[in-house]
Amino acid sequence: MPAARGSRDATVRRFALTDAIFRALTKGAAILVLVLLGGVAISLIAGSWPALSTFGLSFVGSEAWNPVTEKFGALAPIYGTIITSAIAIVIAVPIGIGIAVFLTELCPRPLRRPIGMAVELLAGIPSIIYGIWGLFVFAPFLQTTVQPFIIWMFHGVPGLNSLFAGPPYGIGLLTSAMILAIMILPFITSITKDVFDTVPSVLKESAYGIGCTTWEVTRRVVIPYTRVGIMGGVMLALGRALGETMAVTFVIGNAHRISASLFAPATTISATIANEFTEAVGDLYTSSLVALGLILFIITFIILAIARYMLLRIDSRAGA
Amino acid sequence: MKPMLSTDLNVADTTVEKAKIEVKGLNFYYGQSKALKDINLSLPERSVTAFIGPSGCGKSTLLRVLNRIYELYPKQRADGQVLLDGKNILDRSQDLNLLRTKIGMVFQKPTPFPMSIYENIAFGVRLYERISKAEMDNRVESALKRAALWNEVKDKLNASGLSLSGGQQQRLCIARTVAVKPEVILLDEPASALDPLSTAKIEELIDELQADYTIVIVTHNMQQAARVSRQTAFMYLGELVEFDRTEKIFTSPREKRTQDYITGRFG
Amino acid sequence: MSTALSLHQSRKRKNGVMMALCVVAAGIGLAWLALILGALIYKGLSGVSLAVFTQMTPPPGDAGGLLNAIYGSIVMTIIGIVVGTPIGVLAGTYMAEYGRFSKLTTVVRFINDILLSAPSIIVGLFVYELMVRPMGHFSAIAGAVALSILVIPVVVRTTEDMLNLVPNALREAGTAIGAPRWVVIRSVAWRAAMSGIVTGILLAVARISGETAPLLFTALNNQFWSSNLNAPMASLPVTIFQFALSPYEEWQQLAWTGALIITLTVLGLSIFARSLTGRREDR
Repeated sequence: MPAARGSRDATVRRFALTDAIFRALTKGAAILVLVLLGGVAISLIAGSWPALSTFGLSFVGSEAWNPVTEKFGALAPIYGTIITSAIAIVIAVPIGIGIAVFLTELCPRPLRRPIGMAVELLAGIPSIIYGIWGLFVFAPFLQTTVQPFIIWMFHGVPGLNSLFAGPPYGIGLLTSAMILAIMILPFITSITKDVFDTVPSVLKESAYGIGCTTWEVTRRVVIPYTRVGIMGGVMLALGRALGETMAVTFVIGNAHRISASLFAPATTISATIANEFTEAVGDLYTSSLVALGLILFIITFIILAIARYMLLRIDSRAGA
Repeated sequence: MKPMLSTDLNVADTTVEKAKIEVKGLNFYYGQSKALKDINLSLPERSVTAFIGPSGCGKSTLLRVLNRIYELYPKQRADGQVLLDGKNILDRSQDLNLLRTKIGMVFQKPTPFPMSIYENIAFGVRLYERISKAEMDNRVESALKRAALWNEVKDKLNASGLSLSGGQQQRLCIARTVAVKPEVILLDEPASALDPLSTAKIEELIDELQADYTIVIVTHNMQQAARVSRQTAFMYLGELVEFDRTEKIFTSPREKRTQDYITGRFG
Repeated sequence: MSTALSLHQSRKRKNGVMMALCVVAAGIGLAWLALILGALIYKGLSGVSLAVFTQMTPPPGDAGGLLNAIYGSIVMTIIGIVVGTPIGVLAGTYMAEYGRFSKLTTVVRFINDILLSAPSIIVGLFVYELMVRPMGHFSAIAGAVALSILVIPVVVRTTEDMLNLVPNALREAGTAIGAPRWVVIRSVAWRAAMSGIVTGILLAVARISGETAPLLFTALNNQFWSSNLNAPMASLPVTIFQFALSPYEEWQQLAWTGALIITLTVLGLSIFARSLTGRREDR
């Protein structure tokens, strides 16, 4: 019996030790997640330092991008990134919400799961697939049919004629924006669907009870109730669009200039990095590309932080 | 005034039998709110004690102090003394895992581990003992027999514990607790999620187990307390109102609040 | 009476229009999926042959296969998962178990969610600065590390979510039998959450097996067979990128075929992963 007691004490000591080790391991892994993000920030700042110290603030304000004379400015890629993402959001948000309404209110029950599943799968398709499809199928289609028609239609209209000025390349700002819209559509739909599901059914039922139509319930009850969550989903999708690389790189045209026409080739931050990084010669060139990455990191960090904050708010309400 | 009263009772009780657990001046807090107020009582060895009272009275909280399971959660703390064989288990130096091998616990809902029936029992035994396969087989068998489950599961020991019915799962949990040879068994409303037949089996089991173990049961079912326990503690709003032999509590309670509760006037 | 009726009718009409638009939206969404998959199958299938899986990527103008790229993708994906999964599972475990109520968990969860949607090209830049620049050359191991950084947030998220679904009563039961916390986690909590955690890992595999941007300047590409982890290595997505943008017809065909292979892999993995948790919910 004393022997058994002794071995039990040894076991207790062993447990205390192993538990402390395991706890430290898990905690270390959790802290590593923070270190990763910190490491990303530090390495980007360090890598972009030569460019930022050479060009200063004018790096952000300059449209120049000349590897030969080593003059670099981020304005054209920043412009391209923001315009393509903004157009993508404008296209994708109404459609995405429409699909979510369809799935929660209109879709026959047996079809709900398969269609919802299809939307989620669409979200999982690698972006390079969208890129290759955009380059070989979508862009030629736009070039031969849609773009000439639009250019012809708005030919004499002041304003619009410069917005849709030719020649029709197929690739360019608008094409990229449309590919991005297709890419982020599933994100918007699945998040919107999730936040729609947080609406208490009594709320909807009482609105139907006073004779509201489906649209009125959606417009007056469901959407106002879930506004913050939808905004969160939109911001999350915006974060994706801003940082998306491959889908855009194929169809943006990689031209470092800002032109009024949406049909013109342009570039985005991520496309510039993807296209030029391995070919960049000279520290300043490489550093300028890293600096572009830093700018993208900062923009997406802010957007994603806002998105998460908004989704957190709707989560806590759903939990309460 | 009231602490005085319960202390008197304790004196009366301890003179009859040896106390396994003595609770002295116990307070318990969830964050800022005080859930147990100056609890004093002593639980005699090898007998069944029931904690009764309306929901939120602190009966489960008191039970959860006895094996310090509340330590899993932050902002829950106890002060005062809980003596197990005269040693204060609330002491900082008390090893919690060791404490829990001495004081087993069975929960309201059956909690079989996600493993086979055999492993459910062997798991706890293996933690502190190195024994041969044959010995382990014996331990598993005797634990299952003890919990009156052996005949129902002896042909499917490798089946998942989750495949059993609710009543069987609960008896598996009792077997699991018995297998590690505790001295005290805490039962937190062990039959409240079960059908009447399973409940009867569990109650029968409790009756048999008290020959070897000190048992504490929390129940909201007064008939159950009357059937299985030798002494009963009535709690209300975090206070121990009355603690006495069970017949006494149910036939001639000293306190008006106890009487109101057992006659169904509130709770 | 008549105004009330006409108001009712205009409301009904408006409802009809809006609902029709929602149906159209759903139609558009499904149509895109069909168009993309259709083109992929149409263009990719015609290039599928045994040679794709047995021959190396060809020089311009020649026929060949994708063997070295497929091999590289598999190797880097496996290393990425092997490195990233333990870290992700441990971190998620801390958040759901030891640190469930701690401030650190709230911060890590927030940062992890940002990493989850951060642009993958940024991760590529990070690993370039972290490994490629100090080592002086591109390497498969750098590519694998970049992929593992993408794995971590996915696994952290699902591990935490799945462990949070494990009832506390089960943890209490494990603790009440005298098991130390880590044994409760290992033998009870992980076991109960197993299928969910596996789903998360599979989704992470699906995610990284199609990632291109983080490999572009870490693993780079390699025209030839290479199993040297310290040298550049081909991968399916980077090869597709390079071949698709080339003017050579053979290369473009291989790009389509590669794209089909990736898509089928990713879709297969996602469907399998979801079916695992689907069964869980049914029970």
